[in-house]
Amino acid sequence: MHKTVKRSARALAVGVFTLALALSGCSSNNSNGNSANGTTASPAANGDDKAPVTFSVFMSGPGQQPTADNKILKLMKEETGVSFNMEFLVGDLQQKLGVMIASEDYPDIMSGDDKLINAKAYIPLEDLIEQYAPNLKKHYAAVWNQIKDENDGHIYVLPSYGVYQGTITEPTYQGPGFWLQKAVLEEMGYPTPKTLDEYFDIIAKYKEKHPDMIGFESLNFDWRVFPLQNAPEHLAGHPNDGAVIVDNNIAQIFADKDISKTYYKKLNEINAQGLMDKEAFVQNYDQYLAKVASGKVIGMFDQHWNFQDGETSLISQGKIENTYIGFPLLYDGAEEWYRDRGAVGTNRGFGISINAKDPVRIIKFWDQMITEDWQKTIQWGIKGEDYEVNADGSFYRTPEQRANADQTSWQVANKITTMHGYMPKIQGTYSDGNAGDPGTQPQEFFDSLKPYDQKILKAYNKKSWSEFFKEPKENNIYFPAYSIVLKDGSAAQLAQSKLNDLQVKFLPKSIMASPAEFEDVWTDYVNQIHKLDIKAYEDRINEGIQQRIEQWSVK
Amino acid sequence: MSDAVLDKQVKKQKPRKSRVDPEIGVSLSWKTLKIQKQLIFMSVPIAIYLIIFNYIPIWGWLMAFQNYRPARSFGQQEWVGLQQFKFLFADETFLMVLRNTVAMSFINLILGTTTAIGLALLLNEIKVKFFKRIVQSISYLPHFLSWVIAAGIVATSLSIDDGIVNIVLMKLHFIKEPIMWLSEGKYFWGIVGASNVWKEVGWGTIIYLAAITSIDPSLYEAASIDGAKRFQKMRYVTLPGIKATFVILLIMNIGHILDAGFELQYLLGNGLTVDWSQTIDIFVLKYGISMGNYSLATAAGIFKTIVSVVLVFIANYIAKRLGEERLI
Repeated sequence: MHKTVKRSARALAVGVFTLALALSGCSSNNSNGNSANGTTASPAANGDDKAPVTFSVFMSGPGQQPTADNKILKLMKEETGVSFNMEFLVGDLQQKLGVMIASEDYPDIMSGDDKLINAKAYIPLEDLIEQYAPNLKKHYAAVWNQIKDENDGHIYVLPSYGVYQGTITEPTYQGPGFWLQKAVLEEMGYPTPKTLDEYFDIIAKYKEKHPDMIGFESLNFDWRVFPLQNAPEHLAGHPNDGAVIVDNNIAQIFADKDISKTYYKKLNEINAQGLMDKEAFVQNYDQYLAKVASGKVIGMFDQHWNFQDGETSLISQGKIENTYIGFPLLYDGAEEWYRDRGAVGTNRGFGISINAKDPVRIIKFWDQMITEDWQKTIQWGIKGEDYEVNADGSFYRTPEQRANADQTSWQVANKITTMHGYMPKIQGTYSDGNAGDPGTQPQEFFDSLKPYDQKILKAYNKKSWSEFFKEPKENNIYFPAYSIVLKDGSAAQLAQSKLNDLQVKFLPKSIMASPAEFEDVWTDYVNQIHKLDIKAYEDRINEGIQQRIEQWSVK
Repeated sequence: MSDAVLDKQVKKQKPRKSRVDPEIGVSLSWKTLKIQKQLIFMSVPIAIYLIIFNYIPIWGWLMAFQNYRPARSFGQQEWVGLQQFKFLFADETFLMVLRNTVAMSFINLILGTTTAIGLALLLNEIKVKFFKRIVQSISYLPHFLSWVIAAGIVATSLSIDDGIVNIVLMKLHFIKEPIMWLSEGKYFWGIVGASNVWKEVGWGTIIYLAAITSIDPSLYEAASIDGAKRFQKMRYVTLPGIKATFVILLIMNIGHILDAGFELQYLLGNGLTVDWSQTIDIFVLKYGISMGNYSLATAAGIFKTIVSVVLVFIANYIAKRLGEERLI
């Protein structure tokens, strides 16, 4: 009895001591961070060595934690001494950011976000890159001006996507489109719908034969409102500029225009025919994915990446015939512009926070990672283990390696998929001609397709999914307009937010209304929009467009 | 036996609040402190807690009068006076969410209290202990579910395909085809009220059951001798016996009238019902915190606090005038 008391007392003392240590550790970290804040970081004496160091990372999307002995992370640790403490988004992003900013509690590395930039949560990177990161400097050379913040000309975030080298290959298509299930296309004799009427005709005919299927699906949830809101701009031949369409460098909203009215009137009609999913506008994102994954949805308008989790689930259930092919539907006379050349994802990628322990070490780490050897390791894997090289030097995978790569359990142990998504990366081709990753190597892509997919592609006489869309035109210099930053609390931001609220509320209403009431609901909607300070929003976008034309045009 | 006499007797049973005589109270203060030193010692941590978490943060209220931006020091902030408040009260949306909040609170308060008292009265009449406990446990289990789960259950039971509510109503021939409960704004307040009752009724009952057990059994005996039946005993003994508890809880709840909740409305609401489902808390999240407009969020918070304090004092005053038990 006596003994146990003593022991627990000692345990308590140890606990208190470690707590004290931990607390003092935290505070000393903070003071380190503060000293790095603002100044271009004192050149750390230990910058070159491989002393073990752990950086905390926040990523603004959900993701799967790699296993403790993840192959790539282990290799990184061995070669550079760097390891990571990853935090993925759980719950609502804006809320999380709001709390992070209010408490100024930032990890070392954070994925890029306009709101965090506004709150001055990142350190400027251009001097660090000039001084310590020759490879990154080379990587971003062509877009150096574009990746600078529009307000103060600093680089806060290293864009993860849209910086290409070599030739661009893109067999899969991630963008917007009107999607139809492969099984539907197969049964209907491989049609290629070009207009809304043709598209909904296919759905109507198929649903007649299979009444338990869901005709047309949509989503109106949280920030994922583009499945409902973006279709009109694409139908009218504009690329994805967000809530505006741009003609001759002049942006205007399209929510209240006829291109929108035509589309929603059509949806109103198909709803009256019973083709629209009745629960489309009350469901959340998980329910939406669950419906896609059930294989019961005939078609929807969406961007591919948004419902890909549903497709992944279909594939793992072996229901590959229920996955989708996208079609670029158009209004009469419109010229297709669904597919775009991925613009540099400004402000999307990683930045270093003002609390970071050792910014120099981080930038050096990324600099090392952007070399071709490391990129091949991260994107393809280890030669002989994850991929093979044939006689002419091109990379390929064996069926077994492909099967591995499809499995989530294998991925978490052998890939760093989520974190790689935010890191600077080589897209296009390496200097030896191989594509950035297995998914973009054309032959590897086709070979890795299941026989069913190959059959479908052959029936359409195509080699990849992206061929269903026209080769993208050259981007306008300001593209995409949706990435123009609206200042927090500005009239423009308020107008955008209120416009979105009106769309969230009225678009479902107009679709669910009886066809006779559609006109009234639409008039009401347009009137409400015109009460807002839309001009402030359009002015800000136009100002941003002009700024970009001025700053980015010089090349 | 008349109602009033019984009422007085019940009151006598209750321990009176000890009131310090104001005249000797001052002179005895040191002595009193000494006598109560254990009590005072025990309340120190609570006082510290309140000061740290409820008083010190009040300085943040200054944000409401600024156009607060993070990463600027206090001196660099831009002072805007009452602009945030003016914006709030000129905003149609805010007035709408205010209406929703008050309406849903009211529904919750009335439904919550009446069902809890009702269930407590009924449970009190059950003489089989085992059965009583089972009913009680089942009724308060949902309280321990998080609203996320509860909202999922509500959404599933109201669904048009295979939702139990629609199935039951169809089988009973009340409706011809399934109703999309969650897409009609006019049903929303009712759904919130009913969900709250389902989740919280058992929990609310506990405190009333406790109050009922403290009623002197001799009162029931006396009532029986006077020929009171079951319902009369409920009406003339039990109900007056828990009146004080009821009033105190009511006063406390009135202070929360602007807290209609956040999770349930946030999780069940959607674009079609937004005019009925948004509460002040959702508004603050959406236009304040999400848009980085912390000043607006603070202004809305101050408004809520002031209204709550005023309401509590009013309710307290009314209770005092009616000669009831009071909180303050």
